[in-house]
Amino acid sequence: MSFRYYKDNREYIEALRKSGDLVDIHEEVHWDLELGAIIRRVCEKKAPAAFFHKITDYPNFRAFGAPIATYRRLAVALGLEPETPIPKIAEEYTRRTKGQPIKPKIIDKKDAPCKEVILLGEDADLFDLLAPMVHDGDGGRYIGTWHFVVAKDLDTDFVNWGMYRQMVYDEKTMVGPILPFSDMGKMLTKYAAKNLLMPFATVIGPDPLSAIASSAPSPIDEVDFAGMLMGEPVELVKCETSDLYVPAHAEIIIEGVIIPNVLLDEAPFGEYTGYRTSPRDKRGVYRVRAITMRKDPIMTVSNMGTPTDEGQLLRSFTLGLEMERLLRDQGIPITGVYMWPESTHHLVVVGVKPIYANIATQIGQLVFGSKLGPWFHMVVVVDEGTDIYNKDEVIHALCTKCHPKRGIRIEEHGVGTPLNPFASPEERLYGRAPKVIFDCLFPPEWPKSMVPIKVSFENVYPKEIQEKVLANWKKYGFPD
Amino acid sequence: MSTYDTFINKDFEELKEDELIEGVIRELTPGKKKYKSMYARFKVSKEPDKYPNRLFIRLGRGQLVQKPCSMEILEFINPFPEGV
Ligand SMILES: Cc1cc2nc3c(=O)[nH]c(=O)nc-3n(C[C@H](O)[C@H](O)[C@H](O)COP(=O)(O)O)c2cc1C
Repeated sequence: MSFRYYKDNREYIEALRKSGDLVDIHEEVHWDLELGAIIRRVCEKKAPAAFFHKITDYPNFRAFGAPIATYRRLAVALGLEPETPIPKIAEEYTRRTKGQPIKPKIIDKKDAPCKEVILLGEDADLFDLLAPMVHDGDGGRYIGTWHFVVAKDLDTDFVNWGMYRQMVYDEKTMVGPILPFSDMGKMLTKYAAKNLLMPFATVIGPDPLSAIASSAPSPIDEVDFAGMLMGEPVELVKCETSDLYVPAHAEIIIEGVIIPNVLLDEAPFGEYTGYRTSPRDKRGVYRVRAITMRKDPIMTVSNMGTPTDEGQLLRSFTLGLEMERLLRDQGIPITGVYMWPESTHHLVVVGVKPIYANIATQIGQLVFGSKLGPWFHMVVVVDEGTDIYNKDEVIHALCTKCHPKRGIRIEEHGVGTPLNPFASPEERLYGRAPKVIFDCLFPPEWPKSMVPIKVSFENVYPKEIQEKVLANWKKYGFPD
Repeated sequence: MSTYDTFINKDFEELKEDELIEGVIRELTPGKKKYKSMYARFKVSKEPDKYPNRLFIRLGRGQLVQKPCSMEILEFINPFPEGV
């Protein structure tokens, strides 16, 4: 049974327009910084997504900025009502991704919108595609910010989709980081050992659920995972120059090969932490052999910077749910896990029933020790009476229940990433990061009579008084 | 005279007069190909008019040095293996 979802970027754009989550911009906008500045402000103001109808130098292009930078838009992407609360969105996502993987379906080239225009050889020129200069000071024009890269393992059938940024270098070349611990990085190592070119296909403007799958930290193959989110197979079509398959309903496909053992200058670029932390450096090289696209393509742009962008929102959402799965699988009595996008997925909030001593330490060690541990360095553990989605409640717990000495546990030798702004240049270079657990639980061994009582409406009034007050609230004269 | 920029992963003060660099320069001529990268060997002067091309310097995290330099391109280098 298929779920309610949008098969392509265009149906999704229309849905956002209808729900009031998209602004149509008819004014001409320049690709060199102006378009990026508008999207940046959209992110910072949590404003509706931007749809650009007229772009300098690129009359046949339109652009779609900040595609899923709010929870409202994430709800719409999943076919839910825009005001669906975060825990309900999480519930729906978890329900859809619990079952069996759904294998993709191959369709005929003539039915694939991404094949309306086919440019091969000399005709495939990256400067004919609208690649914006996203931020002043970036190392180049970034063509891959809301996209993913398809690649296949050398010895197995494993195909990876990963959202890895890509910068235009020249007419035929893109460059970008291929981190050695990423799935594509591991694949590339095998090709590089034999000095073989690795075929790739960049998918720009995918449908929103495929984009989410490509950036989600799930062990399930991304194409099957996208199928699970849709409730039916993703439709794929074969590439022109390789045996890779790409989503047929995407806007633009760039095909080519990654040259192993050759690196070229890439970055700096605005990163999900809200800073440009990693410097210009030598990074992976993608050589272009073909471009296929729709006749009137829509370039998709995510503008990474201070909150809230897609990197922060989606990665916080999916990393948090993956941590929840891990802790539940281990039988830890948690009540939920949440990561605020504003923490740039550095802070994990875990709710738990504190039934034994040092449970917060156990939780912290599990999440820091997991494969996803490098992406965050703070864990706050609160009890089941604290709403993990409510910043006020979590700050209150942190500032009142976390002992400034006993409650803070530091692990000095953790795995980090080169993108951590707080890390010293040396720590960044070697991907090291200390980790910290904030234990906001009253120790269960304290005598009952000594445990402070939370003085809240819910906690210190009898049920019948609470019900009466709630029932009469508006009658008393309060608006809400 | 054409205008280019380049990134250096050090402080501007550390850049020597007539320093020879092998690396990427970006073309800044307005139009569809603005910011195209090229791999070259070039000589940099902090005097804006010493060499035929204007060169702006950016530091490793994109910070622009306001004062323009000048540059002479000695040769373009193809960084790609034969036939790719
Ligand atoms: C908008 C956006 C941009 C991203 N850019 C990058 C990137 O440039 N490099 C990277 O390694 N991961 C990036 N990510 C995170 C990856 O998509 C994510 O780690 C994904 O699961 C890749 O999986 P892998 O580590 O299994 O290869 C980005 C995520 C989003 C949402």
